[in-house]
Amino acid sequence: MSAARPPSPNESIKANSRFLRGTIADGLTRVETGSLSDDDQQLTKFHGIYVQDDRDLRAERGRKKLEKAFIFMARLRVPGGVLTPHQWLAAERVARERGNGTLRLTTRQTIQFHGIIKSNLRHAIRGLNEAMLDTIAACGDVNRNVIARVNPWQSRTHAEVAELAGAIGGHLLPKTRAWHEIWIDGEKHSGGEEEDEPIYGRTYMPRKFKIAVALPPHNDVDVFAHDLGFIAIEQDGRIVGYNVVVGGGMGMTHGEADTFPRTGDVIGFCSTGQAVDVAEQVVTVQRDFGDRSDRKHARLKYTIERMGLDAFRAELERRLGHAFEPAREFAFTDNADRLGWVQGDDGAWHYTLFVENGRVRDLAGLHAIAELDIGRFIITPNQNLVLADIPADRKSEIAALLQSHGLDTAVSGLRRNALACVALPTCGLALAESERYLPNLVARLEDELERVGLAQDDITIRMTGCPNGCARPYLAEIGLVGRSPGLYNLYLGGAFDGTRMNKLYRRDVGGDAIVAALVPLFRGYAERRAPGERFGDYAIRAGHIRATTAGNTFHADLPPELRS
Amino acid sequence: MLPETAPFPAEQIATLNRIISGTSAEQRTWLSGFLAGFQAANAPQPTGAAPPARRAPLTILFATESGNAEALADTARKAAGKLGFAARVLDMADTTPAQVAGVQNVLVIASTWGEGDPPQRAIDFHAALMADDAPRLDGVRYAVLALGDRAYAKFCETGRLFDERFAALGATRVAERIECDLDYEAPAGAWIDATLGTLQAELGEPEAGAVIHVDFARSPAEVAAWSRSRPFEAEVTEHIRLSGSRSTSDTWHVELSLEGAGIAYEPGDSLGFVPMNDSALVDAVLDATGLADNEPLRARLLEQFDITTLTGSEPRPDGWQVIDVLEAARQPLTEAQLLARLRPLAPRYYSIASSRKAIGDQAHLLVAAVRHEAHGRARSGVASVDVAERRKVGDRLKVFLKPNTHFRLPNDPERPVIMIGPGTGVAPFRAFMQERDAVGARGRNWLVFGHRNYTHDFLYQLDWQDLLKRGVLTRLDVAFSRDQPEKRYVQHTLWDARRELHAWVQDGAAIYVCGDANAMAKDVHTTLQQILGEAALDALRREGRYLRDVY
Repeated sequence: MSAARPPSPNESIKANSRFLRGTIADGLTRVETGSLSDDDQQLTKFHGIYVQDDRDLRAERGRKKLEKAFIFMARLRVPGGVLTPHQWLAAERVARERGNGTLRLTTRQTIQFHGIIKSNLRHAIRGLNEAMLDTIAACGDVNRNVIARVNPWQSRTHAEVAELAGAIGGHLLPKTRAWHEIWIDGEKHSGGEEEDEPIYGRTYMPRKFKIAVALPPHNDVDVFAHDLGFIAIEQDGRIVGYNVVVGGGMGMTHGEADTFPRTGDVIGFCSTGQAVDVAEQVVTVQRDFGDRSDRKHARLKYTIERMGLDAFRAELERRLGHAFEPAREFAFTDNADRLGWVQGDDGAWHYTLFVENGRVRDLAGLHAIAELDIGRFIITPNQNLVLADIPADRKSEIAALLQSHGLDTAVSGLRRNALACVALPTCGLALAESERYLPNLVARLEDELERVGLAQDDITIRMTGCPNGCARPYLAEIGLVGRSPGLYNLYLGGAFDGTRMNKLYRRDVGGDAIVAALVPLFRGYAERRAPGERFGDYAIRAGHIRATTAGNTFHADLPPELRS
Repeated sequence: MLPETAPFPAEQIATLNRIISGTSAEQRTWLSGFLAGFQAANAPQPTGAAPPARRAPLTILFATESGNAEALADTARKAAGKLGFAARVLDMADTTPAQVAGVQNVLVIASTWGEGDPPQRAIDFHAALMADDAPRLDGVRYAVLALGDRAYAKFCETGRLFDERFAALGATRVAERIECDLDYEAPAGAWIDATLGTLQAELGEPEAGAVIHVDFARSPAEVAAWSRSRPFEAEVTEHIRLSGSRSTSDTWHVELSLEGAGIAYEPGDSLGFVPMNDSALVDAVLDATGLADNEPLRARLLEQFDITTLTGSEPRPDGWQVIDVLEAARQPLTEAQLLARLRPLAPRYYSIASSRKAIGDQAHLLVAAVRHEAHGRARSGVASVDVAERRKVGDRLKVFLKPNTHFRLPNDPERPVIMIGPGTGVAPFRAFMQERDAVGARGRNWLVFGHRNYTHDFLYQLDWQDLLKRGVLTRLDVAFSRDQPEKRYVQHTLWDARRELHAWVQDGAAIYVCGDANAMAKDVHTTLQQILGEAALDALRREGRYLRDVY
């Protein structure tokens, strides 16, 4: 890192923010605008809140003498995605009364509330707080919501994994009182001057930081897609420790080859007791070595590329005061959810509910289920919802409600493995549609798959409206990344278990061209696949695409017409 | 400029042109008015008329809300002056029954407001007159001209009460009361002439006409003399739906060119708009009465008659309009029978949302399209939907000025103002702010706005942002009723800001309220009473620091 490069503007915003206060509280009282100042918009992210605007309305606003249709997005912090029924009801009420009437389950196992106008924002956050929920550090240059394998049917390991996610999340939570002060009690805490952030310091992280905890053989958390991952190693039904994965991350920038998605590297094994300390020290190495000048190169994956993995590990071990043990054997089979009922090892039942793109529009059915006050609601990293811990004698009651509200409908193999980010109209980064478009595209592809007898085969397809990768598109067998309205880059060859990224197959294609490109591959896959062979693996074996072996070769091995 | 063919020597033409070319539009307008009056004053007098021995006193006492009664009072004063009366005009807001008790001849011109209420400015006079200790009015000769709107239940209630009370207090009625609907001008004019004639005959005064009073103080607005019967055809230069596409309301910003009209409006004034009916409704009326082939009638219904408001006094289901009665009857009518059931189409008045000092010879209007459903039929506000749906840029609107001298910015540019204007009630306050901005007035300005949804109904949001940024607008508060589970209105905002409101009033602030008369103005009034105290609010009203333009 060259000393001559000035820090990014965000660094001084953070440094001068009095531990994330800025002028947010004052901005909330300004009724003439539905927005906040530019600096405060950066700071609210640390409180789990984004300023957005309804992009569908942008064109008409100025002429009508109206500013942009500003709306806020608030994102919960839910370590491991676990909510009580009471918390679900509180969230649903906030969505109904203060938001756009929908809940958006996300790939980070949390809930996003969209369409909250400024005058409702405090009410919304208070409504969540009353149910012991918060939005602290759900966005921003801090450790985000820690996600974890959803396997309540294995009661002991699930508890252990969830406990680690909670412990890491709690340990890395910012210590500032700013969130409570601004959103809840309004009390000033002497400007925060006597506060301290022992882990982060005044300027927090160079960029966002993401942690996931996986439990083989299922990789539903996509453990290689995060700055830091823990792969649980199970022995005789107990977790004995974790393989540590560092330097994963999905985001990149179109047209900038030195930005790329990257799968993390396994650097060793640590005991369960060491895991929280490992997380803290990975955070501090990134805090000190991460690029604070160029936010496009600020994630841990670039720090590791720059330092070299060995040097990074050495620095980490120096700070930990011990060396990692060699990584243990592990194997993943998939990164998907298994839908429907499953009985757990303790006799309780669990229902994994398919929620298309994570968007809960019809709140009534889940409201009725939550009112029964049974079990837990667990949001999955695949934007679905598990109704967990249903006693056997209440199962039929839940099943009846699922049926009467039409929540238990069957879906195709492609659709149940589809993920989309939110994109238009609310996300400010979106270059193209995603959530509103993918269901239609999937319907067209379903017709083609049906024709070749693949209707029930699991194939992952993931779409994002921009290259930042919220739906982890680069790990899908079929990845679609928005370039401009109606046009996408098509990526193929990702591994079904989330261990290998895909590669660019077509540039700037619309729906017709996407379907046309995939039909012959579907046909070939149906006719010539090896037993148990996955679509992504087939595409590579059949020579349609080269395998991506590492992040820094993501843009390599392209045919001449696709090189930029 | 004068052409060479003007009936003056070339030298005078040059001189006049030199003078005229150096004048402002306002000066020219004044000059034209002056010359008109001068001409009238110096016209040949009817021969044989002798000056009266003495001029009989006449007090024209008016109670006005929207300015119609005041305008009529002025008309009556002029007519009386021509007949030789020493006439004076008196606003009920500025007098008491005790002062009227000693007066000889009184014409009362009173409008009725809302559900049979007296105009706000006349509340004190009304209350004092109705009180048990009201002064006797023996010896007072009087007649009452009542204004009202037949669309409301208690038509001309205020005039009726005044009439009965004057009689009960011993005054002598010299003419039967007339009750006028929205098309009051012709009947009111005839009644004034007749009543003055009666009064004159009773007084034994000689034929009048000898003294012609020249009013040099006439305002340019009067001179321009566009009226409901002779409106100016203003071109629409901008026509924007301000409500967002997802709004539940439908409010339009309309810019009109007044070039060449000489309409010198002031902030607070309104423009009268002569609308056209919905042609589909005209057709429905003609169909229902078997008159579908009558093209000339169709043209008259389109422009001349009110084809929604019921005029009869027989009871009808709530919300019925003319078409409901016609369709229920399903009875062929003659043209005359139909027209007998209709009143003339009245103009509608819209507060001007601009200042000439800021935008020149234009006027901006803010028009909320009124639509509702009743008895299975979609109903449309005649004028508002005409403007919103049927007019576009390049069309012409028939307009005339309706001054509102009781709703003006303080004379003192330093005086703070508090403007409470939800919905289209914000229109005059945009004019106020443009005016104060243009003249550099330094008084503080506080706007309280409200509507349904912040995102879609924040009328003129960018204008307010700009005014705040430049410090012209000091404070803005808003209340949007449908953004949250509990309804929130401007009065709630006022209550929340009661301390500051108190402080502003202590600092001399004037309070203005514009908008809905039925709910909003009443709720705001009650809240202001709670904040400031009833007596203090009354005192503000008497001082002219609590002004309302509600409809």
